Order: sequence, then C-alpha cells, then structure tokens
Amino acid sequence: MTPEKRSLSKILGRVGFYLLIVAIILFSLFPFYWALNSSFKGEQELFEPASYLPRNFTPVNYQSVFSNGNFMQALFNSAWVSAAVVLLSLVVGAFAAYALGRLQFRGRTAMMYIVLAMTMFPQISILSGLFTIVREVGVYGSPLSLILSYPIFTLPFTVWVLTSFFKGLPDEIEQAALVDGATSFQTFYMIMLPLTAPALVTTGLLAFISAWNEYLYALTFTLTTPSSQTVPVAIAQFNGTIARQEPIAEVMAAAMVVTLPLIILVVVFQKRIVAGLTAGAVKG
Amino acid sequence: MIKTNSQSTAIPASYNLGLTLIAFLLLVLALGATVFYWVSVTSIQEVQMGLNGEVSLILALLNNTGIILPALVIGVSLWMIVTAFQMLRGNAEAVRWAGIILFWMTVFALVLGVFTLFQQSAGNDLLGIKTDWGRGVSAALPLLILGIPTGLASWWMSRNSDLIGRNQTITNRNARMAWNLLIPTIAILIIVAARPLEKTFITSLTDKRFGSADPVSFVGLDNYTRLLGFRLDTVSCRLNDDGTCLLDASGGIRWELVDREVLRAGYRPISNIPLGGDRALTLSGTDSDFLTSIGNTLYFTFFSVSLELLLGLFIALVVNSEFKGRGLMRAVMLIPWAIPTVVSARLWELMLRDNQSGIINKLLVDLHVIDQSQAWLTNTNLQLNALIMVDVWKTTSFMALLLLAGLQLIPSDLYEAASVDGANRWVQFKSITLPLLRPVIGIALIFRTLDALRVFDVFNVLLGRQKLSMATYNYEVLIQNQQGGYASAVSVIIFILISIFTFLYIRSVRIEAQ
Repeated sequence: MTPEKRSLSKILGRVGFYLLIVAIILFSLFPFYWALNSSFKGEQELFEPASYLPRNFTPVNYQSVFSNGNFMQALFNSAWVSAAVVLLSLVVGAFAAYALGRLQFRGRTAMMYIVLAMTMFPQISILSGLFTIVREVGVYGSPLSLILSYPIFTLPFTVWVLTSFFKGLPDEIEQAALVDGATSFQTFYMIMLPLTAPALVTTGLLAFISAWNEYLYALTFTLTTPSSQTVPVAIAQFNGTIARQEPIAEVMAAAMVVTLPLIILVVVFQKRIVAGLTAGAVKG
Repeated sequence: MIKTNSQSTAIPASYNLGLTLIAFLLLVLALGATVFYWVSVTSIQEVQMGLNGEVSLILALLNNTGIILPALVIGVSLWMIVTAFQMLRGNAEAVRWAGIILFWMTVFALVLGVFTLFQQSAGNDLLGIKTDWGRGVSAALPLLILGIPTGLASWWMSRNSDLIGRNQTITNRNARMAWNLLIPTIAILIIVAARPLEKTFITSLTDKRFGSADPVSFVGLDNYTRLLGFRLDTVSCRLNDDGTCLLDASGGIRWELVDREVLRAGYRPISNIPLGGDRALTLSGTDSDFLTSIGNTLYFTFFSVSLELLLGLFIALVVNSEFKGRGLMRAVMLIPWAIPTVVSARLWELMLRDNQSGIINKLLVDLHVIDQSQAWLTNTNLQLNALIMVDVWKTTSFMALLLLAGLQLIPSDLYEAASVDGANRWVQFKSITLPLLRPVIGIALIFRTLDALRVFDVFNVLLGRQKLSMATYNYEVLIQNQQGGYASAVSVIIFILISIFTFLYIRSVRIEAQ
C-alpha cells in the first residue's frame, strides 16, 4: 500500500467512525430533543403532521405548567421525599458499608450476600404486603408511606456501592489512627468517612435519581391523594385535569422541567456516576 | 453482686453499683417488652377470637403478627436476659454488649416515639385538618419515657467507656463494632422488606379482600392452582364447504374452540400452537390473563434484553476508542437512563402516535420503511414491539456503559500483540474481546433480565389494561380488584421467578471471604 492510500483509508475510517458517533448521539438524544421541540409547540400544532421545529414557537406550556398547583406540589413532594430517603440511606448505609468493607467479623460474607440479593429485590413482589402494612400503620396516601418504602431499593444499593469504595481505601490510614489511640468509631467517623465523601456524593446522586424516578409505590400509595403525589405519578396522570383534551404539549413541558435537573446532574457528574453504576453492577 | 475476678478483663469495683443497676434495667426491659408485646397482640380482635376458640389461634396469630416480629421480640428479650445475668457474674464482654443494646433501644424508642407522635396526632386524617396533639402525646409518651433510663444508662456507659472497654481483643472489638453499625440497616431491611415479604407469603394463602368485612380464611394453595392452572387440548381447524381449512383475514388458520366441558371447568383459551396439518394444540388456563401476562413479559424480556445487548455491545466498542469528547459522549449516553421511565413513556406515546403527527410514523414513511402510518400502541400485534422499542432506547446506553467499563479492564497490550501477529479486527474481537468480556456480559444480561422481568412503568403508562405484564397484572388485581390474597399469590410467583435469576447473578459475582 502506498503512503497516500494508507492515509486516505485512515481518513475514511475516521469519517466513518465519527458518523457512527453522530448516529449514537442522535439515537440517545433525539427523543429528548423531540420532547423539547414539542414542549414549545401549541396544543393544536401537535395534531398536525410532525415538524422538526415548532412552527409557532410558544412558551405557553411552561407558563401553564408552572401555574399548575398540582404539578408544583408534586415537584415539591418529589424533592423532599427523595432528599429524605437519600439522607436516611446514606447515614445508615455508610455505617453498614464501613462494617462490611473494613471490619472482619463472623457473618460478614453472609451479610454481603444478603445485601447483594436485596439490590435485586423485586419491588412488585412485596407490593401487597407493603400495601397492608402501610394501611395498618396509617400512612397510606401520605408521602410518609414513600419514605417508609423507598429504602427497600435505595438502602441495599447504597450499602453495596459504599462497601466497594470503603474496601478500596488503604489499610495504613486505619492502622495509623489506631496507633494514635482513636476508637473504632472515631476512626470511622473522623478519618474514613471524610475520605469517602466523593463516593457519598455519587451514591447519594444515584439513590436520588432512583427515588425521584420511582413510580410503582408512588402510584399505589398516593393514587387517591393528589396532594401527596410525586412527579412520575403527576406526569402519568396529567391528562384529565384539563377536561377539554389531553394536554400533551403541557406534559412535554412538565417532562422537561422534571428532566432538566437530572440531565444537568448527569452532565456534571458523568464520570462519578459511571464509576458508581459500574461499582454497583460489575465489580464484586 | 458483681464479683471482681482476677482476669485481665475485670471491671473496677467502683462500677459495681452502676453495672448492677444496668443489669436490672435490662431484665426489666426484656420482661416489659415481652409483656407489652403480648398484651398488644392479644388486644387484636381476631387473636381474641382465637383465644376463645372461635377461630384457629395459630392461623389468627400468623395472619396478624407473622413469625418475624414475635421471633425478634422473644429473641432480643432472651438475649437481654442472658446479657444481664452475665453482667451480674462480672463478664466484661457482656457489659460492652449491654452498652450497644441500651444505645439502640434508646434510638428506637425515640424514633418510634416521634413517629407515633405524628401518626397518632394526624389520626386517619391525612390532610392535617384535625390534628390532635393530645392524642399523639399520650400515645408516644410511654415510648419517650422508656428512652430516658436507657438513654441515661447508655450515656453513663459511654462516659466510662475507657474503663469498661479496656483490655479487649481487636477481634472482639471489631465484631462488636461491626454489628453495632449494621443494626440500623438490618432493622430497616426487616421493616421494609422481610416483614412485607412475609406478609405477602402469608396473605397469598388466604382469600383476603381489601375493603371487605368478611373474615379472612386460609384457602391453602387455591390461589396458586387458579393462577397457574392450565391444560392442553388438540383441536382441528374450522372447515370450508370444500373441506379445506378456513383462513382468517391475515392468512392464519381458524381453529375450532376447545370442548365445552373445558370451558365449563373454568379454562379459557390463550393461544393455539399449530401441530402441522389441520390440527393444533390449544393452551387454556384458569386465569388466562395471568398466563398471558407471563407470556407478554417473557416476550418483552427476551427481545428487549437481546436487542440491548447487541446494540449496547456495538456502542461500547465504538465508544471504547480514543477520541476527543469521550466524557461528553458518556454524559450523552447517560441521558436516556436518567430520564424517568414514566417521562420517557409519555414521550414515546407522543412519538408513536398513529398518524403523521407521530414522528416515528412520519420518519419511517418518509424513509420508505413502511407504506403507511402504523397504530403502534393500539394494534395488538405491534404493542409489545413498541414497548420493546421504548425500553431499548432507555436502557441500551446503560448496557453500553456497563460493557464499556468491562472493555476498559482488558489490557491493551493483548491487542498490540495480536496485531503484531497479524490478527485482523474481527479475529481480535472473537479471540480477545469476547472471551474476556464474557463475565461482564453475563452480569449485565442477568441484571437487565431481572429489570425486564419486573417491568411495570412502561406497560402501565402506555398500555394500561390493554396488555399486561406480570407486574401490571399484579397491580390491577391488587388495586383495582382489591383481591389481597390473590394478588399476593401473584407477587410470590414473581418473587420466586426473580429469585432464580438473583441466585444466578449472585453466583456470578464472587464475594471474597477474607
């Protein structure tokens, strides 16, 4: 092969490669773009043949979303329920993860297996049991029912991911602390925990996203009390509040409002999120 | 009284009074907790009926308290009693465990007290109009008062921990510390997972209905036999006048219905499996909806997971090369995963509209892939495929990221060596990438399969009751039909099915037992 030919095939390969990259980006982002596009269209325009840009650009959907009391309430509910669940999971999970990641004791492996199995726990299969308990305890229809039930998926996940981070810390730090006369709890609280702050942020973020997106329990426990609903339920139930027609452009505007914070978080923390996700799934 | 013994773990005599008091506190708490629990159990109406012999006591207890909570109360009480006696005999290790018990009892008393305060104050009124703080305080006060002596005791012990805790081995110290740290997680998992799961298992053996005043009775495995009951019958095709098989509009053979006796026994036909010629096998079940939902879920799972794997592997291989903006690319790939499933479902609902206002139809028609707009979400032949499309979009990039992480663990000198040997890209992929990636692929597959098997959100939002997955069927039976017992049996079946995959997953992830 002559040098010119080689460089030509190299360039062609490069072009093909970037075409593939563009195709992957289109595949990932097009539906998202479509929601953005539709959210700026008038309700009427959505029933005409689809257009790639709004013919009549209008922010009216966003105005009605932000003046929609139910939706704003849902945003508020989602925010504080998710924050409370994440806080609880991180505090409790960090304790457990330190025990599992740094301390040797009988029953450790068994506990690890239990936690790992729990990360796979099918939420649907305790729905009816939880439904009964939530009604017995008297929190049915209130956001408390969600705080009570969400740790089922956030807690094992938090423990598992944090455990793998704790395991990765060097032993010398702990030994130095012990030599200096720190108690086990002091070592954990004042030395090891600050070291895992980045991991806490990542794990908290992932747990927050999963709590924010949760639909099954939210639907089951708050279906009859709109004032307690979270965002996914509010968006799923959006039609019908305005009797005239399904306000799909408004739904898209609402979808944008809900998704944008998540997307900003994802773009900012992408490296850590991927690390956290793969620690939770791939590494043992 | 505490004897001061000569071992190195001995406790200074000046602590005798405090420790004796604490030992007695433990004894009182253990007995008090058991008595309190017994009183609260026997005040349940159904248990009282059981005690009077009107209904079976064991079943009444099982139905109302289950096994886990009583076992826990008895177990912890016994442990406290044993610890108290060991303390009285001067065992230093028991003293340290007592500190842990007292600390966590204080925490639980406070948490439970605050919770009771709010719950009882609000009563059944969730809007907060008739908040009655008096009722809340009177209900929570015993718990809060209970917290005072335990709190004081555990404060006293932690203040003197330098004396009580000295001369212990690191192993003991670590083990105690570990369980100390694990207690809150274990407690939460018991409350949110173990107890509801137990309740689901027990309820699945009953004919419980929500919102019905009829007493609940145990029906054994009836719910399961009704859910899973099926039979196979051979049927022949419907005949034209000339003796050939009658065809329907789309060219399929129209089969005869199964025997009337079968229908009368409660079986409903689900599908026909052609045996060749003019015979077919008809599958019918006592709960055709559930069996159909299993079929739908398996179809959805199989196709979405395999498509995601192929596409995800392809994307991962492309993104694995070095190029500018790789970080941004990863962020872009995370976006479909971060969008709430409900939002993505509503978004695809718009994109999949059945006329030219739906972009998918417009795109496919413009590209001449299809001749005319398809009713993706209402045509029963397309519905599941449309959902698979939605799921593939949402999770392929997640799959790709998992695989990418696996790819990056493969040392690059392997490829260098291979290309020196003259192996082309395909050979490299087949002999290096695929074998080394296999564990990651296996884990990602199981991971996604588990997710797909419990699919709820997309089915619920896009298809409602038109086509059910196992999870949406469970939801419909529980919430719409209020059949607690029957729905619980569905839950148990899903649980068992998913447990099998969880077991496979756990076996593929090795936890080193150092």
